[in-house]
Amino acid sequence: MELGSLNGNVIGVIADNYKSDDFKDTLVSEIITKRIEETLKMVKLESSVLEKRFSDLSSRNKEKVILASKLHDKEIILVNFSEGLIKSDLDYFKTLFRRVTKYNKKVILIDKNTELFLNCVDRIYVLEQDAIKYETVDIFDKILELYVDLPKIVDFANRCEKVGVRLDHYTELDELMKAIYRIKS
Amino acid sequence: MISNEEYNYVILSNDIDKVFLAKYSEYPMIDNISFSELRSKLEFNTTKRIVFNNTFYGYREDEIKEIMELLKKQNIKFVLITSNVEEALYGDYILVYDGKNIVLEGLKEVVLKEEKKLKHLGYGLPFVVDLSIQLTYYDVFDKVYFDIDNMIGDLWN
Repeated sequence: MELGSLNGNVIGVIADNYKSDDFKDTLVSEIITKRIEETLKMVKLESSVLEKRFSDLSSRNKEKVILASKLHDKEIILVNFSEGLIKSDLDYFKTLFRRVTKYNKKVILIDKNTELFLNCVDRIYVLEQDAIKYETVDIFDKILELYVDLPKIVDFANRCEKVGVRLDHYTELDELMKAIYRIKS
Repeated sequence: MISNEEYNYVILSNDIDKVFLAKYSEYPMIDNISFSELRSKLEFNTTKRIVFNNTFYGYREDEIKEIMELLKKQNIKFVLITSNVEEALYGDYILVYDGKNIVLEGLKEVVLKEEKKLKHLGYGLPFVVDLSIQLTYYDVFDKVYFDIDNMIGDLWN
């Protein structure tokens, strides 16, 4: 499947047959080669990482290096990027992905963690055997649940609905909390 | 670090590399393998404790629960090394690292209430804990929840 042909600027993809990049023992300085200083800053890496081998990095820094190696490509395709990242990383990179699309870039996130998709992607595709099985623009789409666990805030709304409480589709904890408070009071 | 044989440990780390993992090399370690492979592996396991290195990444919640049941049935304790704070809910005792240093440790019910520290470190809080803590500020709850079904039950009862 030509992933670049999928619609959207930041695209979420649920698929099994893609593997994360692995640069094995390559030196990071040979992986990140374009606009090095600026790129490291954008992915929040220290310059000391350049002297290290990819295989010696933490899982978190591996993902950042992979992103840095692709940051200046027209299509940035990341497989299981969220693996090893902590929540503040996810929040930061979601903003970064939205920002880079302003430079006519497309970001394709093939990931098993839909928290990465929340407040980030324009469209979600489910791919099976290289074909589109399902697509949606709505992370609250219940059919998605057949293929993947939904973000916790979405799952919470769905569970509330099962006990007879319909909540609007909030994607931020603050808004959800205020809505609950209004209902309870 | 593993001082109580009865506890399941969760290690929250933002810097899981080879050096970090070497600290837990006295136990057999399982990396990210598929759910079915893990299930088969556990069925024939004879060790008392296993280290999971980000093993549950990409698993569905039902699958992790099934693995937890299997571990319990087989009487296998675990150390779960992860960067995902949601997985902290599976442990009894949590150690929180910042780089190579432990900055917080204790029983799950104590550590996960350290809202400011965990958010400052960038881990955040598990959704159910975060929402219930926020709702205590609004006097909707007077306790913190660690189980989503219990929280929903009490919220809309």
